[in-house]
Amino acid sequence: MKEKKKEKRAGSGLTRRQFVKVTGLGVAGLSAPHIFIPRQARGAGKTLKILQWSHFVPRYDQEWFDNYTQAWGKENDVQVTVDHISLAEIGARTAAEVAAGDGHDLIEWISPPAQFEPSVLDLTDVNQEAVKRFGRQHPLAVRSSYNPNTKKFYGFCHGWVIDPGDYRKSLWDKAGKADGPETWEDLITYGGKIKKDQGIQLGIGLSQELDSNMAGRALLWSYDSGVQDENENVIINNERTVEAVEFMARLFKESMTPEVFAWAAVSNNQALLAGKASYILNSISAYRSAQKQVPEIAKDVYCVPALKGPRGTRWSSEHVIYSYIIPTYSKSVDTAKKFLLDLVDNYDQAMYFSELYNSPAFFDAAVKGGDRGYPAVKGAKNLRDLHNTWFDDDPFRIEGEAKGKLAVLKDAEKWSANVGHPGPANPAIGEVFATFVVPNMLANAARGMSAQTAVEQAETLIKAIFDKWRKKGVVGGTS
Amino acid sequence: MAPEQKKQPHGPFRFRDDPRLLSALMTAPAVIYIALLVGIPFLLAVFISLSDATTGDPSLDYVGISNFRTVIGDPVFRQSLKNTFIFTFASQALVLVMSKILALALMKEFRGKWLVRFLILLPWTAPIALGTIGWLWMFDSIFSPMDWVLRYVGLLGRPGALLGVNSNLYWLGIPGLAMASVTVVHAWRMLPLATVILLAGLTAIPKDILEAAEVDGAGFRQRLFSIIIPLLLPIMSIAVLFGVVFTFTDMTVVYILTRGGPVQSTQVLASWAFFKGIEGGDLAQGAAIALFLFPVLAGVATLMLRLARRTEVN
Repeated sequence: MKEKKKEKRAGSGLTRRQFVKVTGLGVAGLSAPHIFIPRQARGAGKTLKILQWSHFVPRYDQEWFDNYTQAWGKENDVQVTVDHISLAEIGARTAAEVAAGDGHDLIEWISPPAQFEPSVLDLTDVNQEAVKRFGRQHPLAVRSSYNPNTKKFYGFCHGWVIDPGDYRKSLWDKAGKADGPETWEDLITYGGKIKKDQGIQLGIGLSQELDSNMAGRALLWSYDSGVQDENENVIINNERTVEAVEFMARLFKESMTPEVFAWAAVSNNQALLAGKASYILNSISAYRSAQKQVPEIAKDVYCVPALKGPRGTRWSSEHVIYSYIIPTYSKSVDTAKKFLLDLVDNYDQAMYFSELYNSPAFFDAAVKGGDRGYPAVKGAKNLRDLHNTWFDDDPFRIEGEAKGKLAVLKDAEKWSANVGHPGPANPAIGEVFATFVVPNMLANAARGMSAQTAVEQAETLIKAIFDKWRKKGVVGGTS
Repeated sequence: MAPEQKKQPHGPFRFRDDPRLLSALMTAPAVIYIALLVGIPFLLAVFISLSDATTGDPSLDYVGISNFRTVIGDPVFRQSLKNTFIFTFASQALVLVMSKILALALMKEFRGKWLVRFLILLPWTAPIALGTIGWLWMFDSIFSPMDWVLRYVGLLGRPGALLGVNSNLYWLGIPGLAMASVTVVHAWRMLPLATVILLAGLTAIPKDILEAAEVDGAGFRQRLFSIIIPLLLPIMSIAVLFGVVFTFTDMTVVYILTRGGPVQSTQVLASWAFFKGIEGGDLAQGAAIALFLFPVLAGVATLMLRLARRTEVN
């Protein structure tokens, strides 16, 4: 199927680009003769254009990444340009650049960019070289950048973000669970009690946004279900999903308010900071914001790992998965590949300047010597050592705050999964994610629809999406 | 005396004396502009909708009308189509009534009229995204100032309160309220344009007609329904046409306020085309969804322009 498609593209098939070129030729010729000046004539030397999101932690861009890229450019005689955009614009911008056949050499996604596989370079060589230099890559990173059907690395994943639970210790203490929830059922038992006795709801989004999507998946996986299996067959319609959906309907009734249907990605952070949530499912950025804006709340915020389902399974979705792609139009391929490998080589700084928001995909990468721009960590040989040390004793802890609050995140890679878990990320999973099928399934049940009907409706949508992408040859499985 | 021989135009400016050439030349910029910015993208959208193009593979391999068949079978699309009509007609009905009232009020002389005009125009001059973000804060689940006022006056958040015991109304979290919210915000945004159009129409009505009617004993209602509205119909048609076209194709308000939620209850065709085509990667289906707008918009435009023309002739 794939070969046929390629053949068509190379042969008689008219590409969108060709169409635009033909129709736009006359105008372009009339209006802007200067655009035909050969690219090489504009200036000698290598260039590298990078497009990526404005990091949630401003310090990452302002104090590190933008300076790092300039220093890297100077060292390698490359003129580096970094354009930061809002995370919501990454998809549209990438699509526009791919369609135009021009743009940035490296584009960083914060979700798996599987749908762009036909228009990006196979980065198998970079991934192999990275494993050779830095050791094993975390499986969730591999599953978020590698298509097992086409055997192609469509991206290079350098890092990811943990998605723990953040809870208010004082509220949970009064309810009789000082160490916070351990299971999903605890959210009803104790979260419900907190809402009833202390008037503070908990906040797990049931809305058409990013965090609700991740929370929904964490629930399904912890209930031993999911959207697809490891071979990319759709499995959502089963009794364990129904059980999970029924649970969410109960959870909403006992512990939440209709605000969760209206939430945007930032809403759970705001609720926590406003003292209006006893528990949220979010990265540590919510806690970091509290440290800066409402220290009293921050001192009361603690983290818990993924919650266990009824059979003891526990999974959490990665909150962000970083994946760079190199579009096929790039003329700085080798430079871009070198940049990626050097980025991993300097990932200790990425971790530190993101205030531990970023976790490495290559835990075994060695820490470079010399002044690294942060207080040296004695005995830290690799990123794993740094990760453990910093989570044991948070370098960004504020005055008067308890030590070791983030220690529960040290083994986060054991309970964190990629969006397509237990299978790989793929374009079908991406479209299911982008069209909010899972949070809407849960929201439908919370709003009164029977769990079975909600699951059946979701299955209809998901199967249509999978069938479509399967026909294009980029998704495996048969059902 | 021999008849004077007519001088034949010549030289580079001979087109000045050829009306056909001159008119073609004068309209050429508009034609080129429309062809480039409307015609080509429209044709491109048609080609994409008949192909299997994705954001990652924009090559146009013909697949017939299968995208349209798939789209029609999608329950979210059907919901979006229904929502689009509700969103458009409800907001336009609001705009029409409110703009008429405002235009009539602004015809009167009163102190501070310039300030009122300025304030009414403000939503149109400010970037729509900015204005809508302001509304997003107004509708916030926790901090909504409207909820605060309702709580303050005792209509919300206490036992027996008219609007319920919850501390908030959750404007964007309840389907009916969410749809009402996006509709009102869109009407707020469109109101200035419709008001200005109607105001221009009102000032164009000859004063002697109204004065004569008044002398003949016609009251306000008679003057409004028998003179003002009939004379305003052509320009009102234009206001409605603009409003319908803008609303049918708008996704900003929905995207910023609800992203189509809760559970797709405010999803409209334009936003669904974006989610499916750009965010979801299925460019072809996104184009097919977007093209469903075309027959409706073409029909509305034809109807309105005919209506305006007929009224002008009458």
